[in-house]
Amino acid sequence: MSGLSARSLAKGSAPPGPVPEGLIRVYSMRFCPFAKRTLLVLKAKGIRHEVININLKNKPEWFFKKNPSGVVPVLENSKGQLICESAITCEYLDEAYPGKKLLPEDPYEKACQKMVFELFSKVPSLVTSFIRRQNKEDCADLKEDLQKEFSKLEEVLTNKKTTFFGGNSLSMIDYLIWPWLERLEVLELNECVDHAPKLKLWMAAMRKDPAVSALLIDVKAHKATSTCEDPRLCIQEPATRPPIGSTPRGRHFQNP
Amino acid sequence: MPGDGTKALAKGSCAPGPVPEGLIRIYSMRFCPYSHRTRLVLRAKGIRHEIININLKNKPEWFFSKHPFGQIPVLETSQCQLIYESVIACEYLDDAYPGRKLYPCDPYERARQKMLLELFCKILDYENTTFFGGDCISMIDYLLWPWFERLDVYGIADCVSHTPGLRLWIAAMKQDATVRALLTDKCVFQGYLSLYFRNSPSAFDYGLC
Repeated sequence: MSGLSARSLAKGSAPPGPVPEGLIRVYSMRFCPFAKRTLLVLKAKGIRHEVININLKNKPEWFFKKNPSGVVPVLENSKGQLICESAITCEYLDEAYPGKKLLPEDPYEKACQKMVFELFSKVPSLVTSFIRRQNKEDCADLKEDLQKEFSKLEEVLTNKKTTFFGGNSLSMIDYLIWPWLERLEVLELNECVDHAPKLKLWMAAMRKDPAVSALLIDVKAHKATSTCEDPRLCIQEPATRPPIGSTPRGRHFQNP
Repeated sequence: MPGDGTKALAKGSCAPGPVPEGLIRIYSMRFCPYSHRTRLVLRAKGIRHEIININLKNKPEWFFSKHPFGQIPVLETSQCQLIYESVIACEYLDDAYPGRKLYPCDPYERARQKMLLELFCKILDYENTTFFGGDCISMIDYLLWPWFERLDVYGIADCVSHTPGLRLWIAAMKQDATVRALLTDKCVFQGYLSLYFRNSPSAFDYGLC
């Protein structure tokens, strides 16, 4: 499982060769929460893979052949098939590889996980907005919005009366949500979960998961990238679809 | 299909009873493209179902117990399970019911379909800009406009009642000189449609002196 900490490939780099048989490749970036989803699933399912990190501020030209939107994560298998969009990559891995299924077999339970995923959908853009905000003192509105979103998640846990979002065992939905909750400390946003005790317990439980703890972010390294001159170092321009129902104008498929 | 043409239930209506065994219920609206997706899947898979149409401008109070924001489509099973978001509902039906599978079996082909859907959603979605291409009207806006101009004619302007971004875009488009110059009068269009569906050869000249 090479490449997790490898230097990223930038413009002018040679394109990587085909993916060897028996391996799947993920184009990633060390600090990207979307790519983290895919890395978590690869780890949790014990899938043999290689990681190629992409310099998102200076993308290699060849990377646009892997994903025309030029964003990570992207999966490439030995047949040359390419899969983009983090949630789609995770579901693909769960379906294509044997072993522990992360998504439930029961159609209704699976649908419930997807409905929770939609509930979570506003969080990534809120966190991105927070990172982009120059004046961190003036973020009360964003923090309040985040708190509101976390209350929705708290409500799910309260209603389900389970430790995790899919039941009493960790499953796909937990991995899909985790990368943003993991980052709260780095971003000094821990206060946003102050009113969500079950969510805090969930975070503690997540940290005990082998895949989560193996890939736990290096807080120091993250802080360095968050405060560096270009705060967008850890944000890629979102070609990932703003989820159904997410806030910004125009994305309201059905909000009142 | 039974229920296709039933009147939409509004505020003050009685809550429907439980869903009978062997049936699945869809809360829908006749002209909504999102519930249309789910009705297509119900039909394609031959799933026995009943339809309850909802008045989206005057929602029944009981409907908020089916969906927190009163949105459609919502599926309700005879075990009182509720599934919403059109794409999730469609996948649920494909998973839960036997017969013809609409999603491919191959994981890569499934992923491809989902990636295509994301692309389509980007057409329906847009970042904080007035028009689809940015702050000025451009090709993509003109390419999409004809379909939206017809919403009112078809009597389905309600479809954008829950998409304020699209409503704003429609309003912005109606201010464009080109769009205004070619705007078809609603009555003329309706007259045309009514003749067209009667296979009248004079449909095409409706409204001309």
